[in-house]
This record gives sequence, structure tokens and C-alpha cells, in this order.
Amino acid sequence: MDTFVQILVSGLTLGAMYALSTIALSLVWGSLNMLNMAQGALLTIGGYISFAAITYLGFPLFLGLVTAAGTGVLLGLAMYFGIIRFMFEKDGFETNVIIATIGLAMMMENIVLKAFGAYPFQQPFAVDGGFRLLDVHIPYQNLVIIGVSVGMMVATAWLLGHTRLGRAIRATAQSREAALLNGVPVRRIFAQVLALSGLLAAVSGVMLSSITTLAPTMGYDPLLKAFIICVIAGLGNVAGALYAAFLLGMFEAGVQYFLGVRFGFPALLLLVIIALIWRPYGVFNRRKVARL
Amino acid sequence: MTGPLLELVNVHAGYQGRSVLHNISLTIPEGSFTTIIGPNGHGKTTLLRCISGLIPLSEGDVIFDDAPLKNLRADQIVERGIVHVPQGDIIYPDMTVRDNLLMGAYLPSVSADADKLLGEVHRIFPRLAERRNQIASTLSGGERRMLSIGRGLMTGGRLLMIDEPSLGLAPVVVDQIYEVVADFKKQKRTIVLVEENASRVMELADAIILIDNGQIVWQGAPDELMTHTEIVETYLGG
Repeated sequence: MDTFVQILVSGLTLGAMYALSTIALSLVWGSLNMLNMAQGALLTIGGYISFAAITYLGFPLFLGLVTAAGTGVLLGLAMYFGIIRFMFEKDGFETNVIIATIGLAMMMENIVLKAFGAYPFQQPFAVDGGFRLLDVHIPYQNLVIIGVSVGMMVATAWLLGHTRLGRAIRATAQSREAALLNGVPVRRIFAQVLALSGLLAAVSGVMLSSITTLAPTMGYDPLLKAFIICVIAGLGNVAGALYAAFLLGMFEAGVQYFLGVRFGFPALLLLVIIALIWRPYGVFNRRKVARL
Repeated sequence: MTGPLLELVNVHAGYQGRSVLHNISLTIPEGSFTTIIGPNGHGKTTLLRCISGLIPLSEGDVIFDDAPLKNLRADQIVERGIVHVPQGDIIYPDMTVRDNLLMGAYLPSVSADADKLLGEVHRIFPRLAERRNQIASTLSGGERRMLSIGRGLMTGGRLLMIDEPSLGLAPVVVDQIYEVVADFKKQKRTIVLVEENASRVMELADAIILIDNGQIVWQGAPDELMTHTEIVETYLGG
């Protein structure tokens, strides 16, 4: 039973963080057909901004998180107005944007390296202490991560499902042409989607660095995991990505517990290979991607 | 009721350097029913896409309600009152029928009336009311076409352009769709209809525009068209 609780808590924590960055990736793919390779770097910057705001500027913890989220929004908008706006209507966008965002990621990563150095800082957005549940020590920070992530996901789901903006985002993803003909300002929607995904990435960066450490390259691992989850769920399938994120979080936590931490990632990759052989369009078998 | 509602002046357009439309000039008076006919692949759809701003004009201008549309984006042109029901079934496949229709009332100018408009569309297409909570991708071909036209009706607008509403449908469904189109004429809506099957629209249309090879080869009233035997033989199959 202890083992079960242990795996459940770390699985949920991992899953919650994965889910946040996966939603961000999936949203952007779903609406723009854009694989955002700079997603990891956005996450890194989110982590560092929260660190800088709390440590250097003396912001309270919560405000540090909000500052990181706000920076994510600004970076998302900057990405649209500085780069994507000039590319998305041209041929070869889907490939070109991968190259462009890889370059952007390198740039952002090196700016972080230049500004903060490679020293592994501790993320100050963390709650000390914990409690015992059936002889298992559960840090409060894990609950904070699960709570914040689930809260953000519920908010995103509500936005997509129940607001005029959300309906326009889904419409744009399902048929750009029909959306235009219904009067949806598609370009503005793209900018808003990138802002939203920047926000989600930055928050997930704060969460992630709070249980590991800050490092300029910290975004790669979650980006890779977000890809794995997207592949398993089918790219662009936001709801599927949520289930897959929590499932894979549990799976990884289980493998780490029984076989050792170093087997966690190889086991995930093995799972993806099997999943792709079995269901090339994702386990939810949605042939048509880009559906929000 | 002075100038025409829509006017095209020497419009040229195409896709990626390949020119499709050459020197198109036409006028659509308010309250008229105009049908554009002509062989497939000769620019009828391109013409509608030009008017609604989905493809840019390379030359000429489109004037709607005395204002040029040349530099407006498609979403801005809808706001001016041109509603385009595109060819094929361009619906939102993963949304419910209801949400698809509500997207038609996305513009702030109509969104307040969305419920009233929804009731109106349900009255015209009772099938869409029955299926309101169904996901659009599960609809039949005819139902999708109704949804597509219904969504256009939700937007209201002053000019409704419908691209080949009968394309790929069973004859009985085509009859249903054309009953609705005939009602538009009774309501004195301004309609531009693209149709390959010219015999269907002869009695509906006030004016016929014949497009071949990206050019207007003939335009006038339907009865006048029937007197031009060479045109009837070439384009309407005798």
C-alpha cells in the first residue's frame, strides 16, 4: 500500500508537469500546425524569471509565479510578431518553423546562460515541509505542483470549451478557411494561442524547477517528454494528451520505483516505439490531427 | 437603390503566379439573384474566393456598398456583409452541429441575436435541430451541406454567395436544398450562386454570368441566354 501511495504521488506530480507543457505544445500544433521547438526554452525562462523575481526583487512567491507567467505571455507574443507572422502563410511553413524555433531556443538558452551562469540555482517558489500518509512522506510542494497544474488545465479547458475566444481557437484549428469566412481574425487568434502556450510553458517551468534545480538546459527533458506524450496521444489532441500525460507520469514513476531512476526514460521510449507500431496515429487513433 | 451592391472592376487573380481570372467586370444589384455558370475548373470558385478575400486580387478592385475591398482581409470582408458558403463541406468536424452554427454568428454584430438566428436556421433545416448535439463529422453529406448553408445564414449579411450547393449530393437532397434557395429568392435576398448544373437555376436567376477560361463570355437574363443556341449547345449540353 505504501508503495502504491508513493508511486501515485510521484506519478501524479510528474504527470501534472508533463500535462502542462504537453497542452502548450499541442495547442500550438493544433491551431498553427507548428512544432514549437522553443517550448523547452520558454519553460526554462519561466523558471529563471520566477527565481530572479523572488530572489533578486524580493517578490512574494505567488507574485514570482505570476511574473513568470506574464513573461511567458510576452515571449509568446514576441514569437508571433517577430517570427511566425512572416512565415505561416508561406509554403514549407511546417518544416521551416521547426528550424526557426530550434534557432530561437538556442538563442534563449544562451541568453539565460549569459545572464545567470550555469550554476544550478534552487527554485525559491517552493513550500517546505510535508506530511505522512500511510508511512509515506509527501512533500507539500508536490501538492502545490499538482494543484497549480490541474488548476491551469481546468482553466484552459474552460477557456477552450466555454468562451467565445475558445470557440474561435477550436474553429481556427479545425478549418482555418471556415473560421476566416465566419469573421474570425485568424492572425490574432494565432498570436493569442502562442501567448497562452507561453504562459503554460513558463508556469510548468516554475513547477519543474521547484523539484529539481534551475539549469539553462532544463527545458529539453520536458520538451522531449511532451513530444512523447503528443506522439502517444496523437498530435493536436489536447484531451488525449492529458490522459496520456498522467498515464505516462504513473508509468515512469512505477518504473523508477521498481527498476531504478535511470530506467525511467528508456522505458518511456520503449513504450512509444510499441505504441507507434500498434497505433501509428496515436493510441486514440485520430487520423486527422489538428483538432482541438 | 442607386449604385449596385457589388461591383467588380477589371479583376485579375490567380494562385501563386498562375493567372486564373482575366479582366472580370460585373455588377450585382441589391435584391437580385445572380447565377454564375460555366465548365469546371474555369474560375467560378476562384471568383467567389476573390470577392470574399480568401485570395488576393492581382489587379482591379471589388467594390461593395460603395467601398473598395481590395486591401481587406477575409474576416474584415465578412464584417462588411459578404457571406460566402464555400464549395464542398467546409465545416468544423469536431464541433457539435450547434457550435458549428454558433460560429456563423461569431461576429459581434450578430452574436447578440445568435439564439434567434439559431431558431430561424432550425426552422429552415429541421434536420439540424434534430442533430444539434451531434458531432458534425458524423453527419451525412446532405446534412453537412445544410450545416454549411445554415452557418452562412447565421451570419446574415447583405450578400450571400453559395458555391455549388448541389455538388455530390443525391437528387432528392438537391431538391431539398433548392427549395431553400428558392425561398431566398422570395425573400428578396441578394444571392450569388455558382452552379454547374445550369438547368436547376434557370427559373430562379435574374441574371446569368457564364465564365469560361477565366473570362466572362456572356452575361444577361436567362430567357435571353436560351436564344443563343451556340452557347446553349456548348455549355448547357444542348
